[in-house]
Amino acid sequence: MTPSSERTAARDVLVGSVRSRKSAFRRLAGWSVLEALPALLSGLLVAAALDDGFLVGDLQTGFRWLGAFGLSVVVGAWGTRQTLRQLAEVVEPFRDELVTGVVTGALRRSTEPGASPATADAARLTQQVEIVREAYAAVLMVVQQFVVVSVAALIGLLTLEPIVLVIVAPPFLVAVAVFTAALRRMADQQRAFILADEQLSEAATGIGAGLRDVVAGGGEDRVAEVVGRHIDAQAAATRSLGRLTAVGSVAVSIGTWLPLVLVLAAGSWLLERGATTGVIVGTVTYLLQGLQPALQTLVQGLSGPGLWLMVTLRRVVGAIGAAAEPGAADVDDAERGDREPSLQMRDVTFAYSAWAAPVVQDLALDVPPGDHLAIVGPSGVGKSTLAGLMTGLLVPQTGTVTLGGGGLTGLSAYALARHRVLIPQEAYVFAGTLLENLAYLREDVPRPTLDAAVDRLGARQLVDRIGGYDADLDPFLLSAGERQLITLVRAYVSSASLVILDEATCHLDPSAEAIVEAAFGERPGTLIVIAHRISSALRARRIMVMNGTSVEVGTDAELRATSPLYGDLVGHWQAEIKVAATR
Amino acid sequence: MTGAHSARAKSRAANRLLVQVGRRGGPWVLLLAVNALLVAAVETALPAVLGRAIDAILELDDPGRWLIWLALLVSTLMLGDVLEDVGIGAATARSTAWLRHTSLRHMLSVRLGSAERFPPGDLATRLVSNTAEAGSVGPDVVGGVAALVPAIGGTVALFLIDPWLGLTFVAGAPVLLFLLWAFAKDASELTENYLETQGVIAGRLGRAIAGARTIAAAGTTSRETGRVLAPLPELHRHGTGMWHAQTRITTQDLLLMSLLEVAVLAVAGLQLSRGLISAGDLLAASAYVALAATFSSAISTVTELVRNRASATRVGDLLSLPPVDYGTAGLPSDGGRIELRDVTVRAGGRLLMNHVSVVVPARALVAVVGRSGAGKSLFARLAGRLVDPDDGEVLLDGVPLRSLDRRTLRSAIGYGFERPALFGGTLAEAISFGTTVPVDDEVAVAARAAHADDFIRRMPDGYQTRLADAPMSGGEVQRVGLARTFAHASRVLVLDDVAASLDTVTEHEISRALTGAMSDRTRLLVAHRASTAARADSVIWLDEGRVRAYAPHHELWLDPAYRALFDPVAAPADPPPVLVEIGAAP
Repeated sequence: MTPSSERTAARDVLVGSVRSRKSAFRRLAGWSVLEALPALLSGLLVAAALDDGFLVGDLQTGFRWLGAFGLSVVVGAWGTRQTLRQLAEVVEPFRDELVTGVVTGALRRSTEPGASPATADAARLTQQVEIVREAYAAVLMVVQQFVVVSVAALIGLLTLEPIVLVIVAPPFLVAVAVFTAALRRMADQQRAFILADEQLSEAATGIGAGLRDVVAGGGEDRVAEVVGRHIDAQAAATRSLGRLTAVGSVAVSIGTWLPLVLVLAAGSWLLERGATTGVIVGTVTYLLQGLQPALQTLVQGLSGPGLWLMVTLRRVVGAIGAAAEPGAADVDDAERGDREPSLQMRDVTFAYSAWAAPVVQDLALDVPPGDHLAIVGPSGVGKSTLAGLMTGLLVPQTGTVTLGGGGLTGLSAYALARHRVLIPQEAYVFAGTLLENLAYLREDVPRPTLDAAVDRLGARQLVDRIGGYDADLDPFLLSAGERQLITLVRAYVSSASLVILDEATCHLDPSAEAIVEAAFGERPGTLIVIAHRISSALRARRIMVMNGTSVEVGTDAELRATSPLYGDLVGHWQAEIKVAATR
Repeated sequence: MTGAHSARAKSRAANRLLVQVGRRGGPWVLLLAVNALLVAAVETALPAVLGRAIDAILELDDPGRWLIWLALLVSTLMLGDVLEDVGIGAATARSTAWLRHTSLRHMLSVRLGSAERFPPGDLATRLVSNTAEAGSVGPDVVGGVAALVPAIGGTVALFLIDPWLGLTFVAGAPVLLFLLWAFAKDASELTENYLETQGVIAGRLGRAIAGARTIAAAGTTSRETGRVLAPLPELHRHGTGMWHAQTRITTQDLLLMSLLEVAVLAVAGLQLSRGLISAGDLLAASAYVALAATFSSAISTVTELVRNRASATRVGDLLSLPPVDYGTAGLPSDGGRIELRDVTVRAGGRLLMNHVSVVVPARALVAVVGRSGAGKSLFARLAGRLVDPDDGEVLLDGVPLRSLDRRTLRSAIGYGFERPALFGGTLAEAISFGTTVPVDDEVAVAARAAHADDFIRRMPDGYQTRLADAPMSGGEVQRVGLARTFAHASRVLVLDDVAASLDTVTEHEISRALTGAMSDRTRLLVAHRASTAARADSVIWLDEGRVRAYAPHHELWLDPAYRALFDPVAAPADPPPVLVEIGAAP
C-alpha cells in the first residue's frame, strides 16, 4: 500500500467506526451534557456563594450555593461514569473489527498461491492493534472532555459576564489552531521515530542472529557504523519531537494564561461596569478550573495517544490489506465424482520471479495410479517447489499439471483437497481436541476407520499418552515427531487418494518412519514421498532425482549406475583417486 | 557468591549505569534540573500572587504592581515549559544514543560464545527497547523530584492561608491514596486475563501462519480464520471489564477530588465571612487544592524509576560480558600453517576438546570428519579464533592467534558457513563485507569462483541489487557467502561442507575452485560426505574431542567405523572400488 492510500484507508476506518456506531456515539454525547454540568455551573455557583452569602455574612445562603455546587459535582460524576461505560461500547467493537481484519488478512496472504512463507509477525500485529485500541479510547475521552468542558466554561462565562468572552475566546481559539497545525508535523516526526525504531530492531536482530559472521569476517566496524546511523536517526527524531511538543506548551500558555492576565488587566474596568467580586472570582474559576485543564488535557492527549493512534492505525490498515477478492468460482460443487489418483506434468517450467533461474524446466512426469514415487535431491534444489506445483499451490509459467486427467485451476482449494493431500514438514497441530486434529481433513471419519489408522501407523501409544480422542492438545507439549505423527494419521484417514509427503517423516526415528511409509504404501491410491532419508527412497517403487533443473527417474539399481549425484546421496564412495604408487 | 549477594551487586551496577547514563545527557540535565525547580517554585507562588492581584483589583489598591508580577511569573512559566519540552527531548536523545552506541560496540567485541547465549530477539530488545527505557532516567529523576515541590508547596500554602484549610485537605487526601492503591491491585488481575486471551489469539495466529502450507493445501483458510478468532468474544468481555473497572476508579477519583475542593471552599467561605481571609485568598485556596492533589503523580514517578532500573539491569547484563583481548602482532609474509598445540576446551565439566595437538600444513586441503558431537565445529572455530581454548594454544605460522591484531587475524583466516548471514545493502556490499574493502574486480572474481556470478548477473540490478529485493534459495545464499569468504581470506579458508546442498554441476565448479584458484591457501573442510573427504589431501578424524586418526581418506576407508560415519544406512563392507573420476580436471 502506498503511503497516501494508507492514510486514506486509516481515515476511512476511523470515520467508519463512528458511522457504524452512531447510536452509541449519540448516547455518549447525551451523557456528556450531564458530565458538563459542574464545569458549566462552577463559576456561577461560586460567584453566587460569595456575592449572596459569604461576603454579606449570610452563611446559610453561602453554604446552600456551595451545596448546590457539590450536588452538580455528584451529578457530573454520574455523567462521567455513564460516558466512560459508553466508551467501552464503542472501543471494544472497534478492536474486534481490527483483530478480525488483521487475522483474516494475514491468513489470506500466507495461504495465497505463491505466497512467501511466514511474512506476517503475529505478535507484532496483535500488539499494534492493542496500541490502537488504547489510543482510540484515550483520544475519544480527551476530545470529548475538551469539547464538553470548554463549551460549558464558555457558556458559563457568557452567562456570568458576556463581555469577558470577547477577551477570552480569541486567544483560546488561536491556541487551538496553533496546536492543531503543529500536530500534523508532530505526526510525521512520530512516524519517523517509529520507523527508525523498527529499522533499529531489525538491524539488531539481524546482528544477533549473524554475530558469528560479523566476528568471523571482521566486519564489526562496518556494522557499528551502519547501525549507528539508525541510532542517530532516532536521536534526531526524539529531539525534533521535543521541539514540536514545546509548540504545544506555548499554545496552552497562550490559550489560558494570556486570557487570565488580560481579564485581570481589565479588572478595574469591569468593576466600573458593575461586575461584582463574585463575577471576578467566578470568571477566574472558569479559566483556571475549566478552560486551562481542558486545553492541557487536549494537548497532552493528542501529543501522546493521538500521535500513536494516527501512526499505528496506518500500519494496522496496511496489514489488513486490500479487500479480499471473491474466491474462485465453485465449479467443483457440481463435480461430485472422484478422479483417479494419477498425476501428469507436461512441459512444466516454473521460476519464482522473472529474473530467477527456473526451478524446473520443461518437466514431464507421469505418475500412474497406485505408484509409489520417491523424490530426492540436494537441499534447495526445489523439491518442495515441485510438491507445490503438483498440488496446485504454485502455478507454473508454462506447461500443464493434471490430476486424474482433470486440470487444477478453476477448483476451489477445498475441492482440490478431496483429491489430493499434501503433508508438509512443518506439522500443523492446533490447540483443540485430538479428534479435531485427526479428523481435520475428513470431519465425518467413522471411529473404526480412525482406530484402524492409528493402529496401522503406530500411533496408538501416542493417543493413549495424550489421553484419548477427546483430550485437549497443547501443541507445545508435543515433540516434533509426535506432531508429525498426528498429521500423518490425518492424511491417512482423509478421503484423498493421492498423498504427497514433503519430508513429513523427518522427525520420526527410522523405525517409526518405516512403519508409516509401509502403511501408506498399502493404502489404496498413489503415494509421492519427498525423501528425507535415503531409506525412504529405497522403499519406493520408483525414484526421481532432481539435479538442478534436470530430472532422472528410475529404480534404485538403475540410478546407482547412471546418476553420480544419486550415488553421492546414498553415501557411496566416489573418489578422485590418484591411481598412484601408494596402492 | 550467593544469590542475594550477586543480586545486590547487580542492582548496584545498574544504579551506577543509570548515573552514567544520566550524566551523558550533558548540560541539558543540569539545565532541566534548574528549570524544573524554578518552574515548580513559580507554580507554587502563582496562586498566591493571583490572589493578591484580585484583592488589589477589588480594593482598587494599585493592581498594576501585582499584575506585572503575575505577567512576569506567567512568562517564566511559559518559557520554562518550552525549555522543559526541548530539554527532555535533547537529554533523552543524548543519553539513549550514548547507551546504544556503547552497548552495540561492546556486544561486537565480546567473546562470541557468551554473546550467542542471548537469543537474537532478546539481544535486540536489550539494545533497542531497554536502552530507550533507561535513557530517560535523567529527565525522569528531575521531573519526579520537581513534581514534589508543588504538591508539598500547595499543601503548605493551604496551611499558610488558613490552618483549617490545610487540615480539611489533609483529612481527605489519604482516602484518595487508598483508592489509587486499591485500583492497582484490582486492575492487574483483569489486565492479566485480557493479556492472556490476547496471547492465545496471537499464538493461534502465529501457528496458523507457520502451518500456512497445510492450510492452503487443505483449503481450510476460512475455517482456520474462525478458529483463530474464536476467543474474541472472551477478549471483548475482559476488555469491557477493564473499562468498567477503570470507570469506577476514575469516577471515584473525580468525585473525591471535587468534593474535597467543595469542602475546602466551604471552609474558606466560612473564614471569608468571618473576615479572616480575603476573596483573593479563597481563589488562591481553590487553586492550591488542585496543585496539592498532584501528589498522586509521585506514584507514577516511582514506577517510572523502577522501570528505568530494571532496564538498566538488562543492559548491564550485556555490558558486563568480558571482551576479547586482541594482540598487536603481525604475521610473516607467507604461510598458512595451522597448529593446535595441546588444546583443551571444557564446558560444564566435560572435555569438549581433549589435549589435541595437530598441524595442518600451509596450502593443504584437509577434511575434518567425525560423528555429530565429536567436536568438528569446535575444531573449526578454534582454528580461526572464534573460540579460545581453555588450555593450550592455536598458532598460525608460528604466531599464537591470541597475540594477533584483530584485522590481521580476520583477513588471514576466513570462514564459509553452511547458512551464512549476509550483511550489506547490495549484493556487492554483501560480498565486500569484512575488514578490507576489495575492489570491484576482486568481487566479481570471487563471485565467479564461488559460482555465484551467473545468477547475480541475472538479477535486475546485477551486483547492485539490494539484498531485500533479491530472494535467493539456500544454495544461492551459500554461494554469496562463499564469494565473501573467497574475497577476503588471504591465507586460510575454514569451510562447512558447503557443497552438501548444491547440485552436482555447481558442486563440481566449487570444488574445482577449491582445488584450483584457492589452492594457494590452506583449506580446512568440515566434511559430511565421503566425496568431500576423498578430495582432501588428508583427513582429521575427531572422536569425542580427540584426534582418532590423521591420514588420507583411502587409508581410513579400510576401517568400518570410518565408513559408518558417512553412510546412514548400514553399508556392505565391500572393499572400496578403485575409480578414477572421469571428466574432472585434477
